[in-house]
Amino acid sequence: MRNFRRIATGVALGALLAGGAAAQEISAPNLSYRTGPFAATGIPVMNGQIDYFTMLNERDGGIGGVKINFYECETGYNTEKGVECYEKTKGDAVVTQPWSTGITLQVLPKSNVDEIPILAPGYGFSAMADGSVFKWAFNLPSSYWDAASMILKGIGGEDMSELSGKKIAFLHLDHPFGKEPLPYLEKKAEDIGFELVPIPVGLKEMQNQSAQWLQIRRERPDYVIMWGWGAMNIGALTEAVKTRYPMDQFVGVWWSGHSDDLQVVGADGAGYRSISFNAPVSDAQVMADIQTHVADKGLTESDEEQRSEVFYQRGLVMSAALAEAIAAAQEEFGTGEINAEQLRWGLENIDLTEERIAELGMTGMVAPFSTSCSNHTGHSGGWLLEWDGEQFVKASDHLMADADELAEMEVAAAKEYADANAPWPTQECDG
Amino acid sequence: MLYRTAGQFKTSYKADQALFPVRQDAVLLGVILILAWVVFPLMASEFTFQTLLIPILIYSLAALGLNLLTGYAGQLSLGTAAFMGVGAYACYKMITLMPWMNPLVAILLSGVFSAGVGVAFGIPSLRIKGFYLAIATLAAQFFLVWLFEKWGWLYNYNASGAIQVPNLEMFGVYVAGPQASSTVQYYVVLGIVTLLTIVCINLTRGTLGRTWKATRDMDIAAELIGINLMRSKLTAFAVSSYMVGVAGALFVFMWRGAAEPNLFDIPLSFRILFIAIIGGLGSIMGNYLGAILIVGLPVVLNTLPAAFGLPISPATVEHLNVMIVGALILFFLIIEPHGLARLWALIREKLIIWPFPH
Repeated sequence: MRNFRRIATGVALGALLAGGAAAQEISAPNLSYRTGPFAATGIPVMNGQIDYFTMLNERDGGIGGVKINFYECETGYNTEKGVECYEKTKGDAVVTQPWSTGITLQVLPKSNVDEIPILAPGYGFSAMADGSVFKWAFNLPSSYWDAASMILKGIGGEDMSELSGKKIAFLHLDHPFGKEPLPYLEKKAEDIGFELVPIPVGLKEMQNQSAQWLQIRRERPDYVIMWGWGAMNIGALTEAVKTRYPMDQFVGVWWSGHSDDLQVVGADGAGYRSISFNAPVSDAQVMADIQTHVADKGLTESDEEQRSEVFYQRGLVMSAALAEAIAAAQEEFGTGEINAEQLRWGLENIDLTEERIAELGMTGMVAPFSTSCSNHTGHSGGWLLEWDGEQFVKASDHLMADADELAEMEVAAAKEYADANAPWPTQECDG
Repeated sequence: MLYRTAGQFKTSYKADQALFPVRQDAVLLGVILILAWVVFPLMASEFTFQTLLIPILIYSLAALGLNLLTGYAGQLSLGTAAFMGVGAYACYKMITLMPWMNPLVAILLSGVFSAGVGVAFGIPSLRIKGFYLAIATLAAQFFLVWLFEKWGWLYNYNASGAIQVPNLEMFGVYVAGPQASSTVQYYVVLGIVTLLTIVCINLTRGTLGRTWKATRDMDIAAELIGINLMRSKLTAFAVSSYMVGVAGALFVFMWRGAAEPNLFDIPLSFRILFIAIIGGLGSIMGNYLGAILIVGLPVVLNTLPAAFGLPISPATVEHLNVMIVGALILFFLIIEPHGLARLWALIREKLIIWPFPH
């Protein structure tokens, strides 16, 4: 037993030393999930994320002349492995991307102590937007409350007034992720006067939702909004097809818009929409660069078809935002090899304008946004994407979330979190 | 040679019944304790604390609790994770309702709640045995996890439905929550696990342990020699659930820092059952060996390719890891079906008579 522990300790120390000895590069680990129950959704996003940095390293020699060591630590979406990966990577990491809600929950309180920024693009607590409380956490470019707000605008018009008197079923995973938009939806149901029917799907019932869809048939809602993940999406879609629920009244969050899920129902799923903060633009300049600098050199695990899908390109957008933050920090502090503290400043000062997006070769893939001390989300807004039977296409104008209304809720929720976790350090934001 | 027992004479019954009839065993334990209490904390990194030392100790304690019930009293249980959950949620409620409470006291008290729940779900054991009892405890597993999800009061109506450990101070030092240092948490866990292990060793060697073993080996015979089966079975459920509940409180408060209800679902129960089975049912040390194999080994295997500079992608490492650990479990169970503790006992016996086997 003692020998074993001694070897274990030695190996762990050796691994840490080996990691720390590398020179002139920025370590940006990603707690990936290419294995486990959610691998099907994880793989394309992970591929997109890593391919973008491989492309920057190959094309420009990194950012500001410094190579980005974007490496993965596999968690399989398992919280226990997540902690292991966090501890393993935090030594030299400038950022951590926890991915699963459970891992985020555990890592979030530690971020203040370890002083490593958490980047949770498009997931995590919506309240992270309040940078005065969540000094180290970022959920750009849009939060779940943003998504809920955009969906309501997409189906109910700019002032959501068309929803008055309607009935909306909220089909969600019975899990912190699925419950996240509930406070906002409940508030809007009261303000606008629609009836909200929350229908939870337990983790064990993801694949068999006949009970939930029976309830939907009985309730006859005007819309079904879905907060689904992994196997739950495909379960819901097949049930919707089976019960002949009108697809044009069925809208999902961005994690419920995976092309592979829709391919199973094919043409029967035509008309299904999902909100997204990115849109697929396969002829964009950045896609051509990935082709020449990454795919043609055999440096990617993705294939042609995967690269044309929403999820892969979402990975690109996420990495592009991180790359912008790194570049901003390098410029501000005049050093190539930035540390975690400096990257935190960078993430807080991203300014992704329309021109900058064009320079990056990503026109149309993401909407312009900027972050600040008091706004860690950016609130880029997004589009409704519609499944036409073969692929997702943009099906709405650019939608913006109700930022003012959400800000109020974010500040209140952030304060509640800080009080529950006292002593919780906060920062002052001017303006 | 190292284990030569020549010259160790027993001159009284007391000496003959001592915990360590062979002196080398006591020395070995002493060395392990010095390593655990002094050497590891001095040389361990944050990573080692968080992924090896603390979890191995907590899982060992949970398996120890289960082993009392399954290995000593012969009552098969599949509800371990749910009882851990009871401990964790009880501790959370006590800490949030009574913030002045000493965290150590809260952790030790939380076991009382899971003991109560354990006894309630142990009542069917008076009528049913074996696989049928396993199904009854499975009901506890489903019911309690459902309760953790649906009963908002348990998680203080938190919007996300998860519990989070606040910063807890004891004598001016943070012992739980994000501000607590790993070394402090390790010592708290080690202290509690050491204490409860001593309690377990004494319990299993005393009247209660013998009653349990009699119940396990043949309940009708046990009844005939005057053992009250109801008391024997229910005390087994109570003591076992107490240990498991404390392990659950440590699991969330000293290690994870946050927990969602589905953390306490069946996979965790099975994991602990595997630790107990592979370590060896009906042994104390086996739980530690099992936890090292099931919890510690995958972590170490994961770091190997990077340490040797092998260019294997993390996803492949993960797949390989699952295969290697699975194969090892099969290997150990084939060479010794009674678990690692029995394997060690055989090795020790061979060492004692070495180099002149009969």
